[in-house]
Amino acid sequence: MSSVPASAFLALALILFCIGLYGALTKRNTVIVLISIELMLNAVNINLVTFSKYGMTPSITGQIFALFAICVAAAEASVGLAILIALYRTKKTVNIDEMNTMKN
Amino acid sequence: MNLHSILSILVFSPLLGIVVLAFLPKQSEKLIKWVGFLATIPALLIALAAYLHFQWGKDLADFAVSKSWIQFRGMGGAPEPFFSVNYELGLSGFQLLLVVLTAVVATLSAIAAVKFVKKEWKGYFMLFLLLEIGMLGVFTAENLILFFIFFEVTLIPTFFLIGKWGYFEKEKAAYSFLIYNGLGSAVLLIVIMILFAKTGTTNIEMLTKIIADPSAPLSGDLKLGLLIALLVAFGVKLPIFPLHSWMLKVHVQAPPAVVMIHSGILLKIGAYGLIRFGLGIFPEQFKTLATLLAVLGVINLLYGAFLAFIQTDFKMVLAYSSISHMGIVLIGLAAMNEAGVQGAIFQVISHGLISALLFFLVGVLYERTDTSLIENLGGMAKGMPIAAGFLLAGAMASLGLPGMSGFVSEFMAFLGLFKELPWIAAVGTIGIIMTAAYLLRAVLGMTYGKAHREFTGVLDLKGVEFVPVVVLFVLIVLIGVYPSVLSAPLQTTLETIMLGLGG
Amino acid sequence: MMENAWLIPLFPLLSFLILLLFGKRLKKASAYVGIIFTLASLIFSILVLFERFSEPTYMTKFEWLTIGDLHLTAGFEVNQLNALMLFIVSLVSFLVHTYSKGYMNGDERFPVFYAYLGLFTFAMLGLVLSPNLLQTYIFWELVGVGSFLLIGFYFNKEEAKAAAKKAFIMTRIGDVGLFIGMILLFWETKSFEYSEIFKAVDSGAVSGTMITLTAILIFIGAVGKSGQFPLHTWLPDAMEGPTPVSALIHAATMVAAGVYLVAALFPLFLASKTALLTIAVIGAFTAIFAASIGLVQTDIKRVLAYSTVSQLGYMMLALGSGGYVAGVFHLMTHAFFKALLFLAAGSVIHAVHTQNIEEMGGLWKKLKLTGPLFLIGTLAISGVPLLSGFFSKDEILIAAWEGGHPILFLLALIAAFMTAFYMFRLFFMVFTGEARSEMKHVHESPNNMTFPMILLGVLAIVAGYVNTPWFGSFFGDWLVDGNPALGHGHIEGPIWIMIAATVVSLLGIYVAYLMYFKRSLSRNWLSGTGDTLHTILLNKYYVDEFYQLTVIAFTKGFSYFLRFIDVFVVEGLVKGVVGIVQGLGKTGSKMQTGQVQTYGAVAFIGLALLAVIFALTGGYLR
Repeated sequence: MSSVPASAFLALALILFCIGLYGALTKRNTVIVLISIELMLNAVNINLVTFSKYGMTPSITGQIFALFAICVAAAEASVGLAILIALYRTKKTVNIDEMNTMKN
Repeated sequence: MNLHSILSILVFSPLLGIVVLAFLPKQSEKLIKWVGFLATIPALLIALAAYLHFQWGKDLADFAVSKSWIQFRGMGGAPEPFFSVNYELGLSGFQLLLVVLTAVVATLSAIAAVKFVKKEWKGYFMLFLLLEIGMLGVFTAENLILFFIFFEVTLIPTFFLIGKWGYFEKEKAAYSFLIYNGLGSAVLLIVIMILFAKTGTTNIEMLTKIIADPSAPLSGDLKLGLLIALLVAFGVKLPIFPLHSWMLKVHVQAPPAVVMIHSGILLKIGAYGLIRFGLGIFPEQFKTLATLLAVLGVINLLYGAFLAFIQTDFKMVLAYSSISHMGIVLIGLAAMNEAGVQGAIFQVISHGLISALLFFLVGVLYERTDTSLIENLGGMAKGMPIAAGFLLAGAMASLGLPGMSGFVSEFMAFLGLFKELPWIAAVGTIGIIMTAAYLLRAVLGMTYGKAHREFTGVLDLKGVEFVPVVVLFVLIVLIGVYPSVLSAPLQTTLETIMLGLGG
Repeated sequence: MMENAWLIPLFPLLSFLILLLFGKRLKKASAYVGIIFTLASLIFSILVLFERFSEPTYMTKFEWLTIGDLHLTAGFEVNQLNALMLFIVSLVSFLVHTYSKGYMNGDERFPVFYAYLGLFTFAMLGLVLSPNLLQTYIFWELVGVGSFLLIGFYFNKEEAKAAAKKAFIMTRIGDVGLFIGMILLFWETKSFEYSEIFKAVDSGAVSGTMITLTAILIFIGAVGKSGQFPLHTWLPDAMEGPTPVSALIHAATMVAAGVYLVAALFPLFLASKTALLTIAVIGAFTAIFAASIGLVQTDIKRVLAYSTVSQLGYMMLALGSGGYVAGVFHLMTHAFFKALLFLAAGSVIHAVHTQNIEEMGGLWKKLKLTGPLFLIGTLAISGVPLLSGFFSKDEILIAAWEGGHPILFLLALIAAFMTAFYMFRLFFMVFTGEARSEMKHVHESPNNMTFPMILLGVLAIVAGYVNTPWFGSFFGDWLVDGNPALGHGHIEGPIWIMIAATVVSLLGIYVAYLMYFKRSLSRNWLSGTGDTLHTILLNKYYVDEFYQLTVIAFTKGFSYFLRFIDVFVVEGLVKGVVGIVQGLGKTGSKMQTGQVQTYGAVAFIGLALLAVIFALTGGYLR
């Protein structure tokens, strides 16, 4: 078990986060953006768990926090999807470029 | 009786009026006007009592009050320095005079408002009373933070008073007032914060002591920089050329009752700040700027005078004349001797009274004739001889006629500067001629000559309008004939300043 | 009595205040208020004058203003000059008050007129009682205001308005000279008091150049007030005021204040040869300059005004030549005969309702009292022997000669000729010749107008005898008593000067007689229309036009230039700053695309940048 170094977990988290960030910033489809955000959250979760094991003061807090994050992420995803559906009903599109009502 | 609480009562007495006004219905015009007027009376009475208290030979230090207010430790959890801001009010002779001036002009301005304000009296008087709190606080505050708070308190009501009750371009004037003064006070805040951070106190007396101490943690350059910043901050208020353009708009667009306050007192905060903080806290650095100040003063004096010479609107003439007269304050300060500084302080008070008088008369004229253009008013002495007479008398006071307050201040300011910088002073005396020229041109243009229009009906001063005119005029003459009413309280202030200047 | 001299100026002040407050209710009775109060002043002045003959100078002072260590005082002093001036001023003022009751009768602002007269008299009496320069300056300005108000009394006349404004501003230019001189002198001597100043000057504590500078600056004040060249132009215009005012202010008292000031500060001027010479030259030049203008004027009051300017120049010449007594003496006699002339002129104007002498004529028979009185004044001012003007003018000529100014002496002599000529030209044109048809209802003035004229007429004759060698030059000795520096009471000059003066004035009269009475000499000899010289004189050497084109045009131009700066440079700077802020704001708002993804990218890049900076610098809070 201990043969896998912490850096590997962190690298995985980094890669996941970067993919998520890339997706969130560039994809047109709102569903994919939401999924990308989930990816980023999960990257954070991996970090949390990693440090709870390999950190300077290992403790269970990190893992519990990860559970919290998963809960919040689930809630967020459901709210996000709900908004998305509502938007889709009014705008008939999931294209994120057209959702610029914050301007004007 | 406990004298220590008197000052707090003085400063916050208009608050009572605000509270009462808040519960009055908007429509009861008469009641609102009465309350608005009466709310200025307690401050007036206390101020006059304080003046008498001084005249009877008692000590003004009796009034000083100090309560601990805000305290916190320095950053980084270090036990020292221990930062504390106290609630400190006090009176020196100089402050006493300004408080009396404020109280008098505020009461008279309330009378003017009763006559001239035509709408929404409730809001007007509430803001007006708040403004009075701010002004009284500015002149009694003994530490910089408190001063700054009161200083800001004067800004906001004035902004609304101009913006809501002014003439055609009132919004523009109000914004330019707010932005200029806001920037000025931002600079002031920076200065205060640097001083606070470096010395750990904002008490003016202690600051003076610390900065005079050569081992103070402030380099000479920093002090000079702070002084220049102060000069900018108060220069906006005074105003010093080229920071004056906001003030022209305000003088022209604001309602007369507000201009009385604005020209009579708010501009004086700039002079007060320069004397109390600039000259008081940084005397050494002030000396190095003396020539610059003298030149600025002369520029102000002449610039205002020449521009006033070609204005067609009497309000503009008065606005430029204010710039010109504030030049005399600078001239007096630049002299840095007793005569000059006393002249500057006299000018502050005297111009406060004179401009209040003139703007009240402008209010009267505008109310009757709907104009303040010089050519439209030509020959008004026929229809309204008393108003014309007072207008002429006010102009005479303003141009420095002996026997009125303007002369004493002008004389002392020049007396002081001639000792130090005779050549600059000699150039400045052109201003004396120009002042006569532009004021006579404007006032004679309005009062003398053929009447261009019918002045029918009851146009002249009547009833309660006599109160401000007569009170102000009597004060102007009193100071001119017997200047000791002002100079006696000032002597200790002067001594302190001269001590700081080292001679 | 002298310790109560401070009451003298207070009476007219009281009159002023009473009339200002209750004038509307008093109406016609206002005149009595003014007359009674000035009469009180006059009585006190006479008592003070007589007491001063036997007693030394009285002076008292109290602290007026404290400036740190400097204590400025106010007070009053009764010395010879002051006592004399008190008498002259209160006398003329009283007479003018009386006279005005008839002259101003029917004017709707009658009480205001008397109020102003009171204010002026107060200021003038205060001026001559002042023991120090500052107080002198204060009252100096106040008399200016009195004069200003009275010149502009007919305020709805545009000319009166312009004249009042001009008078105030022109004299103020002079006043600034006095103001600077006074302050410079203060810092040299640490005092405004005359006695202290003289002491410092005597002891040599003040440098020579400083004395010259301050003396000339103070003299500029006198130039403004006394209508000396080049600040003389306001005085003729001041004739827009009511005639009694011209008699009181612009002939007898205020315009003489400049002469008085120089006399009061005479020890200072004596200490500087340059200053004295300046005064003498300006005085002599003004005397002949104004006299030459007076030759061709057609307005009765303007002729008198120019003659006043010319006579004041005479006094200045006397003082500048070191003739203290001569100057003060002429100041006194001139006050009497010029006030007389103005009041008589007022009486003429009152009768014929015009001021143009070409429309007058043949009034001698109709104005039985005014005519002879006017003649007395004319003879006196022309310097005909046995009248007051002769003695004082003679003193001045002697002073100029003895003072070592032969050229100035010559100028003065020519001016004396001109004076005799234009005064008699005036007399002949007004009182002799054909009576105009439209002047039928001419009648003599009422008693309250003739009484002051008669009194002044008597004085114009006899006032000269107080300082004649035949009576032991009593006046002059008294005037310089205790002050040897001021010179002798009477200078014994060569007899030919007296003869020359007499001849010259008689010659002037004779020429005028030939031209305007006998008409045997063509009037076009000098005053031919179209003649260049005549035009120049008629237009007063174009001095007004010159000022209009230079000083005033420059002031206006400079003002417009400054307005240009105000509007474009100062406002432009402000607009520039505003523009920058607005531009920044617009750029910023363009970045608000509404695209959440863009915002996210920006936020992330920002975070990344911060992290990089942190990594590179190690952060602030290390």
